[in-house]
Amino acid sequence: MTHDPTFWLLARASGLTAYLLLTLSVLAGLVVKSRPFGRALKTAAVTDVHRFFALLGLGMLVLHGVALVLDSTVHMPVAALFVPFLSTYRPTAVAFGVLAAELAALITVSFSLRRWIGGRNWRRLHYATFLVFVMGTVHGLTAGTDSAQPWAFSLYLGAVGAVAFATAWRVLGRPTRTRTTTPTPALERSA
Amino acid sequence: MYRIVIDGSLCSGFGDCADLAPDVFGLDSHGKALLRVGTSDDERVREAADACPMGAIHVEEVLAA
Repeated sequence: MTHDPTFWLLARASGLTAYLLLTLSVLAGLVVKSRPFGRALKTAAVTDVHRFFALLGLGMLVLHGVALVLDSTVHMPVAALFVPFLSTYRPTAVAFGVLAAELAALITVSFSLRRWIGGRNWRRLHYATFLVFVMGTVHGLTAGTDSAQPWAFSLYLGAVGAVAFATAWRVLGRPTRTRTTTPTPALERSA
Repeated sequence: MYRIVIDGSLCSGFGDCADLAPDVFGLDSHGKALLRVGTSDDERVREAADACPMGAIHVEEVLAA
């Protein structure tokens, strides 16, 4: 019997797509406040895009996991999708993906729980997205079988470069808000 | 008439409220939203509440006394 490559192709494609969506979500999140396009993009629209990519990325991760379980190229039991180091195929590389996915799901869910956990904790947890991105990159490069291909390597390189650039822009750029809006002296005192 | 409440913990200083309804919302020295008034008849407060990415603005319609 010949090996059916459908799920193996699906596993690779969904993994790469999930990584691309994660990158786009991170980029959208980073430009919400740094506003490289000025007022042309509304904050609400950018945050909508940010959330949409994040949710779509999680959906793609589900597909990634399902495809890996159904495929027979690598042996991947369901439990290995949730428990790090349970995979017999490149355990460490897969563990990075498992932990990144779980943390990504937690961060996404935390938005709905922000009233309970408080804005400060929500923001702190949101910083963990950088860890998700780093772990996701390591996972993609080390567990992915396409990483050595120039097109795949370019994708990872481009993603890391874009996120690094957008992060630098966000950190180095002065907040535009405090400059554009001058609080009245009365409000300054009460603050 | 609208009664407005800002959840200071959730406000992340996007500042869209101050752009949309500058008579009602201001920004403090940290860029966080603060209320200039407690109640307002300005319809734009609803827009401001909808525009807040964190959902930190609560607008309640109350009967004018």
